[in-house]
Amino acid sequence: MSQILKTTSVGSFPKPPELMEARIRFRKGDITREQLSAAEREATKAVIRLQEDLGLDILVHGEMERGDMVAYFAETWQGFEESLPVRSYGNRYYRKPIVVGRVGAKRGLTVDAWKEAQALTAKPMKGMLTGPYTICDWSFNAFYPDRRSLVLDLAEIVHQEALALEEAGAEYIQIDEPAISTRPEELELAIEAMAVVTTGLNAHTISHICYGDFDTIYPKLLDLPVDQLDLEVANQGFQLLDLIAAHPWPKQKELALGVVDVHSHGLESIASVKEGIYKALETVPADRLYIDPDCGLKTRTWEEAEAKLRLMMEAVREVRQELGSE
Amino acid sequence: MKIAVQGSYPKIPAGSGASVRTQIQRFDRGLGSPKDLERSYREVTARVLNLAEDVGLDLTTDGQIRCNDWFDPIVRDIDNVYSEGLLRLFDNNFYYRHPVIRGRLAFQGGTLRYWTEQATKISKVPVKVAMPGPFTFLALSEDQSYHDYDRLLRDLLAVLKMQRESLAGIGTVEVQWDEPSLARDASLDPVQVKEVFHELLAESSIAQSVALFWGSRSHRWLEPLADLPLTTVYCDAVVDPNVFSALASTKWPFAVGIGALDARNVRLEDPADLARQLEPILHRQSSDRVILHPSSGLELLPPDRAEAKVRRLAEVRAAVLGTVKS
Repeated sequence: MSQILKTTSVGSFPKPPELMEARIRFRKGDITREQLSAAEREATKAVIRLQEDLGLDILVHGEMERGDMVAYFAETWQGFEESLPVRSYGNRYYRKPIVVGRVGAKRGLTVDAWKEAQALTAKPMKGMLTGPYTICDWSFNAFYPDRRSLVLDLAEIVHQEALALEEAGAEYIQIDEPAISTRPEELELAIEAMAVVTTGLNAHTISHICYGDFDTIYPKLLDLPVDQLDLEVANQGFQLLDLIAAHPWPKQKELALGVVDVHSHGLESIASVKEGIYKALETVPADRLYIDPDCGLKTRTWEEAEAKLRLMMEAVREVRQELGSE
Repeated sequence: MKIAVQGSYPKIPAGSGASVRTQIQRFDRGLGSPKDLERSYREVTARVLNLAEDVGLDLTTDGQIRCNDWFDPIVRDIDNVYSEGLLRLFDNNFYYRHPVIRGRLAFQGGTLRYWTEQATKISKVPVKVAMPGPFTFLALSEDQSYHDYDRLLRDLLAVLKMQRESLAGIGTVEVQWDEPSLARDASLDPVQVKEVFHELLAESSIAQSVALFWGSRSHRWLEPLADLPLTTVYCDAVVDPNVFSALASTKWPFAVGIGALDARNVRLEDPADLARQLEPILHRQSSDRVILHPSSGLELLPPDRAEAKVRRLAEVRAAVLGTVKS
């Protein structure tokens, strides 16, 4: 019997202080790119070790080489310019890219980091990409005449990157679209763009979506052409599950359920996480229900991230046992 | 023609200088004292006010430098409102902690008054205070206590009025009710909106205005708001270009704010183009009752671009003077 309630993580992990220091020194020109890469590799090893120790099923590499999920791509791709930081919430800032020309890219930006991470574990390692709609939405457009033309140009670039990851051996490719609920009137465009990205891929495709008004895009969101929707649910006290339960869950789709809030220092109780999992099981079968945190863990300290993942794993183990699966 | 800003402003400098972001980081790590943090709030607020003076603004805010988000002062000043999980603020890549009402609303007060006083004491430019209006508050908050819209609305209006009156006597020249919900939500009934504002605006010792932004329906509210004792109605003309014709075709009983500079995109407007667009509005309204402003608060821009937008207000005014003279 294959594992039920497979566990994973969404993407980013907190950067250890040594890496933060190395990033600052690199920006100042005090260390070389190779020295920074060495620090990133060490941090990646720790991320993978932690996930293996905790027993997660599908791993992430932790995005130690990335500052921000959009800026990372924009810094390398053509047509973008970097801005000074913009606040996104609380005291968190990001460098919102500025589109100043036609976007373009050399294929394979993410492949080396994925290969290095996959070589460190026998478990599957996700290839991590940001979706075209989110890259557009989280950039200033100072060039294209409209959002559609920018989104579709970006979709082709992301598609090429996904193909490169698949050719490198990635079994799971995650294309994050947290901005997808921003403008419900553009959901069709986001779906069209995702179709461009995932067409022809044989890898298992996932899209992570968070912090939006799901009421405005559900159930149309189920048309997003990916194998798995990975949704932030714990942040709103699992209320989203009521909306999900109101519609039949598609037979070919998986749900990854966010069960711990990544923007809260506090640790959830095992009972509350189990309650959320059981509630999801009323709609989604256990073999198509994955369990993970609400979002990337980079905003937590290492200790908080570890504690949240440990608690998540403990809750999953208990549910598996109660279902007679472990 | 007057020029003004609307609400928030970046908390970080474009170059060197005081940074709330840095001080909060230092404070959180135990490296800075509460006094250091307070100093940075004051220095950054002073920077906003100095820019207003330097540019020659007719009206400014304090930049909302101390606010985590829009609802921060409300949560601090009104009993039984709590900050909960992060949600996206409309169609922006900005996230607010959504207010949850867990008991009967009661005015506690003090925080917004203190924050405002720190600005009015030092500002050479008249200071207004922008805060969420009742419809936007109700749209973005969660009621876990009243379960009775009318009763909640009654209490909300009472506490908002008390919040407004707490700002009297300290140099506040205007209270601006921010109502993006009105600009966006087609389901709101003009008769009810009028009734609510009639009650909200009553018994005031401070001039009051309404700001409509981030939606395509701003121009539709000019008529319903025309009978109310408002000094100004500010409209976002970037998302709703119909504002231009609505202001050019009818003389309104209040001063009109035209948000023609895009507060959400770095692209700088051409002063001569804007001057041409503003000319018929200046002819229809008295020119001293037209206020040019960014479409909303400027914190969604990087600090260098935010400053450029503020300076562009003066450049457009200069172009307008040239156009009118010629």
